Amino acid sequence: MTSNLGAVYDLGYEPFEGERRGRKGAWLTVWADGLRRVLGLRRKARRKIMPWLLVAIAIIPPIIAVGVAFIIPAGAAEAIDLASQNADFFVLGGTIAILFTALAAPELLIPDRHDGVLSMLSSRPLTSTDYLSARFASLLSIVGAFLLLPQIVLFIGQAGTDPNGLLRGIVNAADTIPRILVVTAIYATAYVPLGFLVASFSKGKAIAASVYIAGMIALTAFGDAIVRNSTFTGGRWVALLAPINTADSANRWVFGSTDSNSLLAVADIHPSIGLLALVVIAVGASMFSVARYRRLM
Amino acid sequence: MPDTSFTTSQLGHAYGSVAALHSLDVTVPRGRTGLVGANGAGKSTLIKTLLGIITPTMGSATVLGMDTRHNKIDIRSVVGYMPEGPCFPLDQTAADFLVYAAGTAGLPRQSARQRASDVLTLVGLNEERFRYLGDYSTGMKQRAKLAQAIVHDPQLVFLDEPTAGLDPSGREEMLDLIGRLGSFGIDVVVSSHVLRDIERTCDFVMMLDSGTLLHAGPLGTRVDADIVHVELIDGAAAFERALITAGAEVEGTGNRMAVRCDDGDVFDLIRDSAARSGASLLSLGASGSSLEDMFLHYGNRP
Repeated sequence: MTSNLGAVYDLGYEPFEGERRGRKGAWLTVWADGLRRVLGLRRKARRKIMPWLLVAIAIIPPIIAVGVAFIIPAGAAEAIDLASQNADFFVLGGTIAILFTALAAPELLIPDRHDGVLSMLSSRPLTSTDYLSARFASLLSIVGAFLLLPQIVLFIGQAGTDPNGLLRGIVNAADTIPRILVVTAIYATAYVPLGFLVASFSKGKAIAASVYIAGMIALTAFGDAIVRNSTFTGGRWVALLAPINTADSANRWVFGSTDSNSLLAVADIHPSIGLLALVVIAVGASMFSVARYRRLM
Repeated sequence: MPDTSFTTSQLGHAYGSVAALHSLDVTVPRGRTGLVGANGAGKSTLIKTLLGIITPTMGSATVLGMDTRHNKIDIRSVVGYMPEGPCFPLDQTAADFLVYAAGTAGLPRQSARQRASDVLTLVGLNEERFRYLGDYSTGMKQRAKLAQAIVHDPQLVFLDEPTAGLDPSGREEMLDLIGRLGSFGIDVVVSSHVLRDIERTCDFVMMLDSGTLLHAGPLGTRVDADIVHVELIDGAAAFERALITAGAEVEGTGNRMAVRCDDGDVFDLIRDSAARSGASLLSLGASGSSLEDMFLHYGNRP
């Protein structure tokens, strides 16, 4: 006869004797957590609204363009040539990516400082540089994916509307893939380290986002004002301090088009020099972030 | 396996011109150690130095036999830390946070999930594991903090003021949990300014005052247990003479004195001297019978 009384079994404490992946495992965990955190995954619903709204805003224009390309046959006067749209959609996606970076970078760094999570991480096999590089990689991955999404839609549309069929279309469109990847890296280099720098030093997420967006706009306005109106020799080099313009110019250069009214063009600076300046700014900004976190962990 | 939890040699640290630790020399054995001192005594600074968060301005330290300057990652792989302040995001569930905490210790995701579930059950949060940490009470937050400190099965765990902010029943439960850690094979260093908590959970104590080591030793040691403190209502002079005549050593002034006797029972001697001198006793008690007495004893020593 069995008893109908419940029984509680204290299983006690079991030591962990499984695999430990050490520093590498810790780094990957922080990186993956960064992706989830930015997208609001496994968080309350309201935390998902902004990131996914921005993703939708970035992806809807190319979807419309592709839809129109499917509807209007190639050769018609109103037909859209998707093959020539990459650079334009990068400019649009890049602008929205500034907002996305302004949202993502503070989310990755500030709650960990504010909520004391860094204290917990101080008893884990991580250095401050490990933590920061993992968070940086999270931001780079997520902003990179954000920039790539509209291009993936375009690529599919380009291949799908190829008169020779989808497979032939994929082959024909494949030559844009390396250029898409290079331009994605350019925009990420222009936006991510500066966003990271601002988030490293800001106390609140809203403040960080505001400072970042205002800073990016101010750099563009400042560069524009100096380059177009400067009377002193060497004023044109100020154009290199405006990452948005530099990224846009480099984008068009990679896709083989030019914008004679762009800041770099007016300053008579080749986009390759602009790219070098972006890298220098990115390295400098990253070094400041590393120095900041050396004192925290 | 080293036989010490941690050691320090001439360890010192200063925040600018303010010295937080002064040349600490101590060897702390494995087991449960209490780190006692008032606020600002240097307890948290010592723990942060041992974890490698703070680089000492002088001297050196080892944790589980590893040098804190050169083996920071190795040390952090085998220790846990429950900070005094908050240490988790409020917008995450306890289960998710514990999986993350285990993952940052290098545990693969599947193992991390299993450990998170086990440890949350251990600290009594199993039913609440899918609630957001921001919705937890203070007591539940303290348990969650303890859970993250042990989720990766460390060899040594540092607990900084683990009972801070807890009500009496929460305090008892937390102390019970800490007491059980030793039986799990986890060494514990508990920092607290509440002496009762240390008495209850530890078998070795380290006392700090203004960054200086007052005392380090087993908690069971009675300090000068053969000294008895006496307080009288009147007849102090005659009582003192009677004690000295009987062979006792007497220190103190007025109606308070400390009596020591190498031969025989000091309580018997006090009783006989009081009867002989006609002095009236107000109170008497052995010295050093509690951690509080120890702290007062070492704290008052020049």
